[in-house]
Amino acid sequence: MRVLMLTWEYPPFIVGGLGVACYGLFKALAERRIKIYMILPTQEKVFFEISSSWEADYPTAKKWDKKQFEPIPLSFYEFHYLEPKGAYLSLQLISITKRWEPPQLKTQIFYEIPNEVLERLETLLSQDNSLISKVGTYTENVLEISKALDFNLIHAHDWLTYPAGLFLKKLYNVPLVTHIHATEFDRALGFGHPIIHEIEYLGLNFSDRVIAVSKYTSNLIKEHYKVPEEKIRVIYNAFLPPSKPPEKIKKFKESVILFLGRLTIQKGPGIFLEFAKKIINTYGKKVRFLIAGAGEMERHLMLEAASLGIGTQIMFTGFLTRQEVETALSMSDIVVMPSPSEPFGLVALEAMSHGCALIVSKQSGVSEIIENAYKVDFWDIDKMVEIVIDLLENPEKLAEIQEKAQIEVQKFKWEDRAEEVINIYRELVYNNICFM
Amino acid sequence: MLYVIFYFQVHQPFRINKYKVFDIKEKVDYFDEDLNKYIFNKVSERCYLSANKLFKNLIESSDGRFKISFSITGTFVEQAKRYRPDVFESFLDLVKTGGVELLNETYYHSLSSVFDLNEFLEQVAEHEELIKKEFGFIPTVFRNTELIYFDKLSDILLSLPHIKTILIEGADKILKGDSPLYPRISYNHAHLLLLKHYRLSDDIAFRFSDKSWGEYPLTAEKYVSWIKDLTLIEKGGKNLYLNLFMDYETFGEHQWKESGIFEFIKSVVELLLKERGIAFLLPSEVSHTLNYKPKTISVPEPTSWADIERDLSAWLSNSLQWNAMKTCYELLKIAKEKGKKDLISILKKLTTSDHFYYMCIKYFQDGDVHKYFSPYSSPEEVYRYYMSILSDIENRLEE
Repeated sequence: MRVLMLTWEYPPFIVGGLGVACYGLFKALAERRIKIYMILPTQEKVFFEISSSWEADYPTAKKWDKKQFEPIPLSFYEFHYLEPKGAYLSLQLISITKRWEPPQLKTQIFYEIPNEVLERLETLLSQDNSLISKVGTYTENVLEISKALDFNLIHAHDWLTYPAGLFLKKLYNVPLVTHIHATEFDRALGFGHPIIHEIEYLGLNFSDRVIAVSKYTSNLIKEHYKVPEEKIRVIYNAFLPPSKPPEKIKKFKESVILFLGRLTIQKGPGIFLEFAKKIINTYGKKVRFLIAGAGEMERHLMLEAASLGIGTQIMFTGFLTRQEVETALSMSDIVVMPSPSEPFGLVALEAMSHGCALIVSKQSGVSEIIENAYKVDFWDIDKMVEIVIDLLENPEKLAEIQEKAQIEVQKFKWEDRAEEVINIYRELVYNNICFM
Repeated sequence: MLYVIFYFQVHQPFRINKYKVFDIKEKVDYFDEDLNKYIFNKVSERCYLSANKLFKNLIESSDGRFKISFSITGTFVEQAKRYRPDVFESFLDLVKTGGVELLNETYYHSLSSVFDLNEFLEQVAEHEELIKKEFGFIPTVFRNTELIYFDKLSDILLSLPHIKTILIEGADKILKGDSPLYPRISYNHAHLLLLKHYRLSDDIAFRFSDKSWGEYPLTAEKYVSWIKDLTLIEKGGKNLYLNLFMDYETFGEHQWKESGIFEFIKSVVELLLKERGIAFLLPSEVSHTLNYKPKTISVPEPTSWADIERDLSAWLSNSLQWNAMKTCYELLKIAKEKGKKDLISILKKLTTSDHFYYMCIKYFQDGDVHKYFSPYSSPEEVYRYYMSILSDIENRLEE
């Protein structure tokens, strides 16, 4: 089986969890004899071949003639999510629902993407917008590079790659799987950029299968994008063992409570700060807070934290390297993940593997599968405070949950996820029940 | 008579390292040796050596009629001796001409006068000691960091009887339309106050090479004619004092050599030397030349020479600056109580005002100036490093 993987992130080029999830999945797939051609948003016209575990760690760039590309280091487009601001004006013009009726899986065996869909995509991608036009460039690159490749399935990860996936499906009559790691609704906490919404709608509705990273995400796309339930498969992310066995590091004499993630509204750092304030009010100086990550909310959070006049009790790390992420987790006793909308939340698994007690919002995919963690509504700060103070005052209880979490996380294996993904591939390619 | 008083600020901070939370308990090199050395060398070549040479020539060729004053910080002297002994020598040479007066300030160029009075008096004494030791000069004139002044400062300085005169900013809000050319007496009648003429000072320091400025290009003749016009306000024969205060880096660093700043200042001095009603003066000489009793002035709120607000907002307008500074002084107090000498000296270097200047988040014109002076990419970045350093020191204080 040869799969064309379209993704916007892969290590070491990572913005968020997408790259980490792709790495874990691709490696496990390659170990199961799936041959992967991966196309990334490189400025050079190259693809990467991954057909062994080793190649997943060190993918080499190849040109269309399959010769190795020199030089090895690649430069990537700068990647920024758009702020949803200002996008609402055009919302009235572009309706994301009911423009095309989604194909009905049960009644239609053979289905083609209507030409209007592709024309619409062309119009969308020709918008004068720096991010969208980069997606357009990526789509063109994919169409050109894929000419030299022989594949029997396309697997596209998140909206940025959906246009390329749809064009290829139409062009080569091969099944398309669209994987949804995060929706625009999660990123914007509500309505986001209308073009991105429309691309998500088209990609999810005109593919042959949709993989959602959680039931939470599955429900979201059923409700907002009207994706037929029969088409969706929920496949959770799994746990990627750290580069070296985790070891606790003591940097501060106090207990350390960590927020780890981009400092954007989606991840809830503002909620974390409110939570920290309440702990400080009731518990005083006996605890230290670490806000780890970079993002547009940094200044706001920093000004507010500093205005409490509590010296070094709330610390900021700025942008973190992979190594520093692991150090931050090793330094911490408790991790709080108060995301208001989190499709999965890989940080939770990493926190558990580093032996941190975890408090995670119920509005996250990961909370559906883990047991040894506290699950709280993202807005219920008082509950978070209550749990944390209880843990701080009962060190045995804290140690117990930390230990249990560390054991539990081992069972979330990418090997198992890869098997589930391969089942979908088989369904589409060998049983020929896809609508091509 | 119109007296022209030049005072130049000579200062370099110990800029901090890119010290992250993860460096806590791992590293103790808090200051960016490479960066400090690089900047010191750069400014030495562009400014210190050329400007010292120029002013030495002017003093010597005028038979001592041309004179200037400097305030040289302790952190500058330390860096000069460490990185560029030749630069330090050239300042010594300049002082030996006799045409130079050295002023007293805080050793670390800090805002201790606002935050911790004991520490303030300590830093002033440390600086006085340094000037005596290194230059053999006993200062009698005081200038606080960035010309910060408020009534209470005069009260505090009463404990240093050798201080007779203080330099301050001629801010509009304290002059209320009155002229900065007349010295004032502090509200408690203890000190003579010399007020910076900010328009004519900033014409050189900030606007000289600004092509969008209406008066560009500024010629020596034009500038001297403005100075001569100043005498028109006085009909009763009272002596006037034009205080031109600026950073020494104005010459060659802020205003590049190519802008003609060196030729300009040389011509201005030479033209002024030819004027009969105009003479140069040192700050300590003002009291002997006064032919009237100055008015008193009250400055209840702190003023400074920084930014358009001319207050403390360059260093203390947001919570990052406030929390960082407050924490630093708190730790310094603990370090003193515990007698941790090595940490005391580090914390004192962290009191330098520049660290807080880099944390300033003000927009418009002044934001640009802050950005120009900052070696860091954002106020948030320097705050993170600064607080991580304090956190490590906090740990070490408990050892």
